[in-house]
Amino acid sequence: MNEASPAQLVPYVTGGAFVLAFIFGAVGNKTNFCTMGAVSDWVNMGDTSRMRMWLLAIAVALLGSSALEAAGLIDLSKSIYPGPSFTWLSYLVGGFLFGVGMTLGSGCGSKTLIRVGAGNLKSLIVYVFLGIAAYMTLRGLFGAFRVGVLERAAITFPHGQDLPALFGLNRLVLASILGAAIIAWVYSSKAFRSSFDYTLGGVVTGLVVAGGWYVSGVIGHVAEDPNTLQEAFVATNTGRMESFSFVSPMAYTLEYLMFWTDKSRIVTYGIASALGVIAGSAAYALATRSFRWEGFRDAEDTANHVAGGVLMGFGGITALGCTIGQAITGFSTLALGSIVTFAAIVAGSAATMKYQYWRAG
Amino acid sequence: MNFDKELDARGLNCPLPILRAKKALNDMQSGQVLKIVATDPGSIKDFQTFSRQTGNELLSHAAAQKEFTFFMKRK
Repeated sequence: MNEASPAQLVPYVTGGAFVLAFIFGAVGNKTNFCTMGAVSDWVNMGDTSRMRMWLLAIAVALLGSSALEAAGLIDLSKSIYPGPSFTWLSYLVGGFLFGVGMTLGSGCGSKTLIRVGAGNLKSLIVYVFLGIAAYMTLRGLFGAFRVGVLERAAITFPHGQDLPALFGLNRLVLASILGAAIIAWVYSSKAFRSSFDYTLGGVVTGLVVAGGWYVSGVIGHVAEDPNTLQEAFVATNTGRMESFSFVSPMAYTLEYLMFWTDKSRIVTYGIASALGVIAGSAAYALATRSFRWEGFRDAEDTANHVAGGVLMGFGGITALGCTIGQAITGFSTLALGSIVTFAAIVAGSAATMKYQYWRAG
Repeated sequence: MNFDKELDARGLNCPLPILRAKKALNDMQSGQVLKIVATDPGSIKDFQTFSRQTGNELLSHAAAQKEFTFFMKRK
C-alpha cells in the first residue's frame, strides 16, 4: 500500500509505463512482432512462427500476471476485463472489425505505433483516424451505437467472467496448466526454435504486460485516495488497474494534445505507453539505420489505411481492447471476453486477407 | 535475370506484396520466373518464409535505393 499522495505517484506510474513501452517498441521493431503478420503468415503461407510468438507472449503474460496475483501484489479483478457483464456481441463485432481494420491498415494499434517510430507516415495517418474513431466510439456518434445497440446484448456473470470464477478453479493452477500447454506447443516447432527473435519477441512482450500490471497495480495503487476516500489507480484513464492496450490511449493522446491548456489533464499511463512504443521503435530504427520515411502508394492505399484506422478505432473500443489490450493483457486475466475477442480479431483479419487475395489483380 | 512476369509491389505493406505474388504465381506455369519489386523492409523475411513454405524457389533477392527486388521461380 502506498503512503504517498496520488499526485506524487504520477511520475512513477507514467515513467514506468513509458520505460516498459519503450522496451516493447524497440524489441517489437527488432523482432518484427506483428499480430496481423502472425495471421498473414499462417493464412497465406501456412507458417505459424509469428502466431507462436504471439501465443508465447500470451503465455508469459498469463504466468507472470497470475504469479503477481498469487504473491498478493495485484488483484486482476480490479481491471476492466473480468467484470460481470459479458457483452458478447460487442466482443464479436468489435473484434471482427478490428481484425478487418488491422489488415487494411498495415498492422494493429501497437504495430501502427512501431511503424510510426520507424518513419512510416501511412501509420501516422492511421494513428490519427484510429484515435478520432476511438474517441467517437467512447463519447461520440459511434458511442451511441455501441451502447444503444451492441452492449444491450449481454450476459451477466455475477462472480465475474474470468475462467477461474466461471468454473470455480484456482487461478494459479489454471494459468500454470494453460501457460505450460501453450509454451509446449509453441516450442514444438523447429522453425520457431531456429530463430531466437521469436522467443525474444514473445517473452519480452509477455513480461512487459506483466510488468505493466505491476506498475499500475502496485506502484500506482492507492488504497484510499485522500480526495475521494476511495481506492485509486493513479494516472489511469479507466480508473481501474491497467496494463498495456493501445486503442483508447491513442484517442486520449489526441485529446491531451487538443486540450493542452486545460491544466487538469495529465499524461496518463496509456498516453505514456503509446509515446513509449513510438520512442522505443524510433530509437531502434535510428540505431540500426533502418529508419526510413514511407508514404502512400496511391488513392486506394490511402483509402485502405484510413478505413483501417477507423475500423480499428471503433472495433478496439467496442471490444474493450486490441490484439495487445484484449488478446494479451485481457487474456492474462483469463477473461472469457478477451478470449472471444482474440478469436474474432483473427477471424476478421483472415477473412479480409481472403478477400484481398480474391480481389488481387 | 530473365523473368516471365513482373509484380510492382512498391509502396505496399504486409500482407499485400505476398498476396499479390501468390496470386501472380498461381496464374503462371511451372518453371516460370516472377520478378517482384517491393519497398516494405519486412518483405525480405516475408518472401524467404513464403519460398520455404510454398516450395516456390527464391532465386535471388537484392536491395538497392530503398527497393527490394526478388526473383521467384514457380514450382
